[in-house]
Amino acid sequence: MKNITDDDLTLLYYGDHENPELATEVARSPELTRRFDALSADLQRIDELVPPARHDDYGSEVWRQIESRLTPEYSTVPSRWRSWLSTLMQPRFSLAGAISLVLVASLAFMLGRQAGQPEEDTPPLSVQLTAADAAGMGPDRLLTSSVSGHLDQLNLALTQFANRPGTSSGQAERATDMLVANRLYRKAAADQGKKQLAQFLAELEPLLIELAYEAHKVSPETLSRMQSEVRNTLLFRVRVMNQQLKQPNIST
Amino acid sequence: MTRAEQQIIRKAAAGDRAAFRELVLEHSHAMFRLAWRISGDQNAAEDIVQEAFIKAWRKIGDFRMQSGFRSWLHRITVNTAMDYLRKQARVKQHETPQPELEHLAAGSTSPKHDIQIDVQAQTRAAMMNLSDTERVALMLRHFEGHSIKEIAQILNMSSSACKQAVFRAVKKMRVELAPLVTT
Repeated sequence: MKNITDDDLTLLYYGDHENPELATEVARSPELTRRFDALSADLQRIDELVPPARHDDYGSEVWRQIESRLTPEYSTVPSRWRSWLSTLMQPRFSLAGAISLVLVASLAFMLGRQAGQPEEDTPPLSVQLTAADAAGMGPDRLLTSSVSGHLDQLNLALTQFANRPGTSSGQAERATDMLVANRLYRKAAADQGKKQLAQFLAELEPLLIELAYEAHKVSPETLSRMQSEVRNTLLFRVRVMNQQLKQPNIST
Repeated sequence: MTRAEQQIIRKAAAGDRAAFRELVLEHSHAMFRLAWRISGDQNAAEDIVQEAFIKAWRKIGDFRMQSGFRSWLHRITVNTAMDYLRKQARVKQHETPQPELEHLAAGSTSPKHDIQIDVQAQTRAAMMNLSDTERVALMLRHFEGHSIKEIAQILNMSSSACKQAVFRAVKKMRVELAPLVTT
């Protein structure tokens, strides 16, 4: 064995040495044992660094100190919007998805405006929806119909996700599109006072975030857990909600 | 990381302050110990902990579940502490930070206790004579049990450079503490 240095002994002390014979070598040699004991004694001196004790309630004290500083400007929301925008700039955000999202955003914008104003004050629509889309549909039906289409797509995507052994960048791309659309529809539903629908769409978001940003990176165990959740719970809920939306008499 | 922890982190990432409060209660003591060992000052450590949690709140949306939350918090704490030390260094250039003695002095009643305080103070001073990187690397290895690879990630350096930082820290500490060991 090559000459054993103090660096080797330091690695041995911290259990970082990759040579399995080093410990035996040190134990066999009185000189190495002496050096190792001296090093150990020195390093144990570091244990003298005992921090001043904090009282049991220290965590609460920290919370009291920072609570008022966790204002919305510090919250995760702006960061999310920033990452949203950066996501839009990423190549995996598909062109087709982006175009359809412009339409979704326009629709959500229009629905939000209509919900917030009295009927007689509603200005002419300037959004780029076709006249046919809006003709004959009040904002209420227009929203439920659009969300229903969104849930049809989601149902298809989730079914594929739940039943395939792995994930693909294409799935992440679609999930990103759906995540953005989902947020816009949620906002429009909330603006229209459709609390149940808004809540349902809000509950979908964490999963869509995982599908968009994490599913292609997670371990097989985590992926299996996600697929199981989708299969056992989420797909059913998506289908039930979609059925409700397709029955005009049921309020959401 | 347990499933319950993941749930709390997810909620906090979604802006749930109550969930974030749970994380603060859970990790404050450990973060204080780490901040104190890096900064060598009680008041500074308290400031660092608060600042680190505020940064954590702002960045928790970026946290990825596959990495350890404790390591992630340590990285934020270390970066906050190092920023703090750099600012301090600009203010007090070339001034050796004084080891904090108030808590050690409190209750000192016997010569033996005074000697103990002296040993702790000298150990503290020796630690503060290391470079920031050396001190953090040694602290994370010695007290927090992070692997060399984890420390390298926290300090944003290669594993090899991180190992060398630990070696240098150990060598310097041994030189500084040699008189104490032989006493």
